[in-house]
Amino acid sequence: MANKALIGREFPSVTAAIDAESVKAFARALGESDPLYLDDAAAASGPFGAIVAPPTYPIAFMAQAMAGAASSFDELGLNFMTLVHGEQEFEYERPVKAGETLTLTARIQDVYEKEGRSGILDILVLETAATDPSGARVFASRQTLVSRR
Amino acid sequence: MLQYDQLNAGDTLVTHQRGPVSKPEIAEYSRASGDPNPMHVDEEFAKASGYPGVFAQGMLSMGYLGQYVTRLAGIGNVKLLQSRFAKITWPDETITCRATVTGKRIAGSDKLVDLELTTENQAGEVKIVGKATVRAS
Repeated sequence: MANKALIGREFPSVTAAIDAESVKAFARALGESDPLYLDDAAAASGPFGAIVAPPTYPIAFMAQAMAGAASSFDELGLNFMTLVHGEQEFEYERPVKAGETLTLTARIQDVYEKEGRSGILDILVLETAATDPSGARVFASRQTLVSRR
Repeated sequence: MLQYDQLNAGDTLVTHQRGPVSKPEIAEYSRASGDPNPMHVDEEFAKASGYPGVFAQGMLSMGYLGQYVTRLAGIGNVKLLQSRFAKITWPDETITCRATVTGKRIAGSDKLVDLELTTENQAGEVKIVGKATVRAS
């Protein structure tokens, strides 16, 4: 159900410690070879002073920010088993860096329904903001999740 | 880095090719991204769910686009990356990433270029439609 009352609901913030080995494994899985992603020494003396993550790396640690959102899926009557990642958007202030700890705050940006080819689809847009310890925004993510009834 | 003065709406940029997509690559991406969905690694599970077999994560293909625009613009110069997952990417497909300039603008001290992105397979079937905004020099 498109329960509009849930729009704007914010979930408790969680923190994510960015681990260099996890970033490197992610970069290798994407076939990256840039030393700024993979080589501690080269990255330390590079423009960011540390290993940086490829642009889509936040997906590897954002799930925990959405853990609190799971109960909202129930409340929304969303069929978790048929939930599909329809769209993903990232807006970046700067690359994520290994060794930093980010604070993630997720909120429901939108809830609506749409007529699909195989019936009504429930759409949930989750927005997650990531800030560094100084409070500066590092990136924002918008995930569009689609559920068949 | 991209040269702001040399780019105009309608320009197409040099493409980026990946693949063929392999099952080991998909499995490695599942591990590296912490994706617990068996659909990408368990053939039997995928078949029982009505698919011909395992398939690539949308985020793996979006990773190709992230790699593409980062190589075009340089690390730290990607301001926005967006993907709509239109069709499934299958093992053995060869994926081409394409970018078309849709506009450019000055925002503060940044020279920004807006791109429309697609990934498509060897038959020209579009898998992802997306966009990016990158900082140019």
